[in-house]
Amino acid sequence: MSESPRSTGIDPRSPRFGASITGILLLVVLFLALAGAATAALTLLTAIAALFGWGAFAGVRRHPYGLLFKAAIRPRLAPPAEIEAAGPPTFAQGVGFAVTAAGVILGLFGVPYAVGIAAALAFVAAFLNSVFGYCIGCQLYVLLVRVGFVHVPEAARAQ
Amino acid sequence: MNPLAILAALAALVAVATLLGLIWRVRQGKVTAGSGETITAADLASDAPLGASATLVQFSAELCSRCPGTRRMLSTLAADRPGVEFLDVDLTHRADMANRFNIMQTPTTFILDRSGRIRARIGGVPNRDSITEQLNDLTGRNNVRIAA
Repeated sequence: MSESPRSTGIDPRSPRFGASITGILLLVVLFLALAGAATAALTLLTAIAALFGWGAFAGVRRHPYGLLFKAAIRPRLAPPAEIEAAGPPTFAQGVGFAVTAAGVILGLFGVPYAVGIAAALAFVAAFLNSVFGYCIGCQLYVLLVRVGFVHVPEAARAQ
Repeated sequence: MNPLAILAALAALVAVATLLGLIWRVRQGKVTAGSGETITAADLASDAPLGASATLVQFSAELCSRCPGTRRMLSTLAADRPGVEFLDVDLTHRADMANRFNIMQTPTTFILDRSGRIRARIGGVPNRDSITEQLNDLTGRNNVRIAA
C-alpha cells in the first residue's frame, strides 16, 4: 500500500465514526470542567489532543479510531458508495489538535474556562462532522488560502 | 454547578450544534443570484473556452472531500448538453482569484450564460435538479417533467 495519505482513499464513514467517539469524550471533558474537576478535565483533554495529533501527524489512516473502524465496524457494513481522499480528514484532525492543544496549554497556565471552552468548540466541530458529514477542509482551507496562511510552492503544482 | 445544571448545559450545547448543522445543511447547494458580472475564460485562468450556451464553473481547493464528487456530477451534466462547458478552477495557488470572486467555501459553483455573465452562484455541493433547471433556462430546453 502506498504511504502517501493523499493518494490512498479511505471509507468516508471512518472519520465520522471517529468523530462520534471524540465528540462524546469532549462532552465528558466539559462535564468534568463544569463540575469543578479541573485536573481530570485537563488530563482527558490532553489525551484527546494527543489523539488528534496522532491523526494529524501520522495521517488519519493510522489513527486508532480508524483502525478500530476497519477491524470492528467496516466488516459489518455494506461497502462504501465512494472512497474519499485521506487529506481532508487529516486536515480536520490538525484543526482539532490546534483547538484542543490551545485549551491544554491555556489550562496549564491556569486561564479560567480555557479547557471547557476548547472542549465545547472542538465538540461542535466533531458533532457537525459526525452527524452532518460537515467537511471542515471544504469550509476552512480556502479561507486560509485567502488570508495567505497557506503558501504552496509553485513547484508542488507539477505533482 | 450541580450535575443537573451541567447536564442541561451539555444538552444546550448539543442543541446549538444541531441548529448550526441544520442551518448549514439548508444552505448547502442553495442557488443564489450571481453578481451579473461578465467574465472570460482568461479571468478563470482557463485554456478551455466558455460554453456556447452556458458554462458551469467549479471552484475547488485542496483538502476538499466534496470537490471530486461535485466535479463528476457537473462534468456529466455538461457533457450531456451540447453548448454547455464545465470548468474546474483550483484556488489552492490562486488566492487572488478566491478574493476576487469572494469564495468562502469549496466547492462553489458559478453558472455563466452564453455571454459569460455570472447568472447563479451555488455554495457547497450543488443539487443536481437545481443545476438542471438553471441549464434548461439558459439553453432553452424545456423540462417536460414539470409540465404536469
